[in-house]
Amino acid sequence: MLDAFLGPLQETYFQKALIGGSIVAVVAGVVGCLVVLRRMAFLGDALSHAMIAGVAGGYLVMKMFFGLEAHAPGMLLGSLLAAIATVALISFVSRVSRIKEDTTIGIMYTGIFALGVVAVSIFRHYIHIDLMHFIMGDILGVADSDLWVSAFTAAIVLTVIILFFRHFQIATFDPVMAASIGLPVLLLDYLLTVCVSLVVVSAVSMVGVILVVGLLITPAATAYLLSDRLDRMMVLAGIFGITSVVGGLYLCVWLDSAGGGAVMLFCTLQFLVVLAIAPKYGLLARWLRLKRLVPQQVVEDVLTTILRHGQTTPLPVIRNYVESAQGDLRKALRRMVQDGLIVEEGAGYQLSEDGRKEADKVLRAHRLWEAYLERIGTPKDELHTTAHQLEHIGGTADYLDERLGGTDKDPHGRTIPEPR
Amino acid sequence: MNTELAPDGRAKFAVDVQHLTVSYHARAALLDVSVGIEHDQLVGVIGPNGAGKSTFIKAILGFVKPDLGTVRINGRNVQKVKGQVAYVPQRGSVDWDFPITVQEVALMGRYQKIPWYQTPGRRDREAALEALEMVRMADFADRQIGELSGGQQQRVFLARALSQGSDILLLDEPFAGVDAATERAILDVLGRAKEAGKTLVVVHHDLATAAEYFDKLILIKQRMYAYGTPEMVLQEELLSKVYEGRLRIFADLKTGGASAGKVVETAKEESDA
Repeated sequence: MLDAFLGPLQETYFQKALIGGSIVAVVAGVVGCLVVLRRMAFLGDALSHAMIAGVAGGYLVMKMFFGLEAHAPGMLLGSLLAAIATVALISFVSRVSRIKEDTTIGIMYTGIFALGVVAVSIFRHYIHIDLMHFIMGDILGVADSDLWVSAFTAAIVLTVIILFFRHFQIATFDPVMAASIGLPVLLLDYLLTVCVSLVVVSAVSMVGVILVVGLLITPAATAYLLSDRLDRMMVLAGIFGITSVVGGLYLCVWLDSAGGGAVMLFCTLQFLVVLAIAPKYGLLARWLRLKRLVPQQVVEDVLTTILRHGQTTPLPVIRNYVESAQGDLRKALRRMVQDGLIVEEGAGYQLSEDGRKEADKVLRAHRLWEAYLERIGTPKDELHTTAHQLEHIGGTADYLDERLGGTDKDPHGRTIPEPR
Repeated sequence: MNTELAPDGRAKFAVDVQHLTVSYHARAALLDVSVGIEHDQLVGVIGPNGAGKSTFIKAILGFVKPDLGTVRINGRNVQKVKGQVAYVPQRGSVDWDFPITVQEVALMGRYQKIPWYQTPGRRDREAALEALEMVRMADFADRQIGELSGGQQQRVFLARALSQGSDILLLDEPFAGVDAATERAILDVLGRAKEAGKTLVVVHHDLATAAEYFDKLILIKQRMYAYGTPEMVLQEELLSKVYEGRLRIFADLKTGGASAGKVVETAKEESDA
């Protein structure tokens, strides 16, 4: 059992994948927080696709002018330029034409991706880029040069984010205020775009073009479900990035599957687990909150039942009049005792001062509705049931009273309680 | 600088707009607007949709380059000195799910004064907390902003504006989409800010409450129609010119009583969207 964990750690390829993947995942998670909060996820996807043209261009230029084969920094620079060109094209087209930004992003990145694919296949005799490798990534085949490139970009990007944390925070949260205190909001936008491009470029060699956007946004979104502060969200996103890589790599070794796919699969499962059980924003928490909620209608029905009964009311009587599942009714009663609306007395329940007030209010609404329903010609046998539904609508009593012109008796001749 | 000074040594006007003309694509958003807002006033900016109110806000924040004219804040050109006006955004423009706490929002008011290589210090935290206390939100310091009620949210942003330390606050529709009780609570905070020596410029939509809430009103629609006390501004003649007959009932607007008039939209298309 232990061997399943320790075994892979002996292998150099696994160590390199672990280190390289973790570096990339940490910085992707941190930057991803800003991407998620700014709703730039689609742009991240676009940048990853566009960079293939840059990689091909960088490869070609370095080979033709300097005779260097697969020069990593050259390709990095090329992809960065391609990313920036894509963003510039996107903002240009969406500014000068009526085409909206999401469509523009779609057009531009597929176009530039296509350009890259065509270029790679035309110059296949000069440049040796494996398109499959590019699209699927190869985390288990991380080269030393890849490690250095990703360490270098990660250092730069993390430094920028930490140094300008406040600036990014305010420019994301409230750009108008940021501009009003003299921050260069546009420059910060560009800086962030460059950071995202750098992260995407260094992550593509590990998980591939298609999955890289997941590495960018999924750990960040997972952290978003757990934290109410941006700094904590960033730390958590970094941690989730690392756990995705570690978990994914083991998954890949044990299942003998594709590396990038296993990493993203683990990352997504991790997200789903957090989505289910996050203490505040999780589905379970939400469900529990809803379940704990006692419907106002049940509360009001209990109050009026006790009021009508006139004395200490035993549970069976309440159950007889109040429509509610058995467990729910007990819960409602417990909650009402806690809220001080009713008190438990021997074999039943009695209204408290506040409860009496509330009950009067509902009763008043009920009788006013009955009087009004009769006035507008509702059949007599429907008066009670209809009024029983309508009495729970808030803020109607005074209106009805006004329309009825101050009646103090309902159709059954009972007194309508005065407001208090 | 050739600005007149008030007896207490401050510039005569908190906000001094002279001949402000701003155009987009050869259409004037603001035309020759001149107004001098005195210190320690609660001023409402009113006008129909598309009247250039948001351009007016941008101009006071120094975001637009005027075709003609100047905006001076405390006697200093707004284009040259940033951050003199504290801005409170419209509720609808804020992402309430943003991972940020009440205290962090208040702390943002201090960001301008913190050099970029430093983190907020104890003094900044204290100033933020002080501002929160002033709007009675200190107890909520660690809450995420989305958990608050509408009025509380508005107060947090007021605290941010207060901790910014500027004596001029610009509020964009603070009463939009809040209930009557909240409106009262916000108004109360505005009043106390005014007492503390702030000048508040508030963009406001509801004519029915304008007279009651503000010391002075600015009525704009592209150009300046009136600036003065509510009695002076809420003249039937003026309003019918600005609102072009879309305002049916004028009676009682000036007194701001319970029977105050309503803005009635007729089928007439807006000509100036």
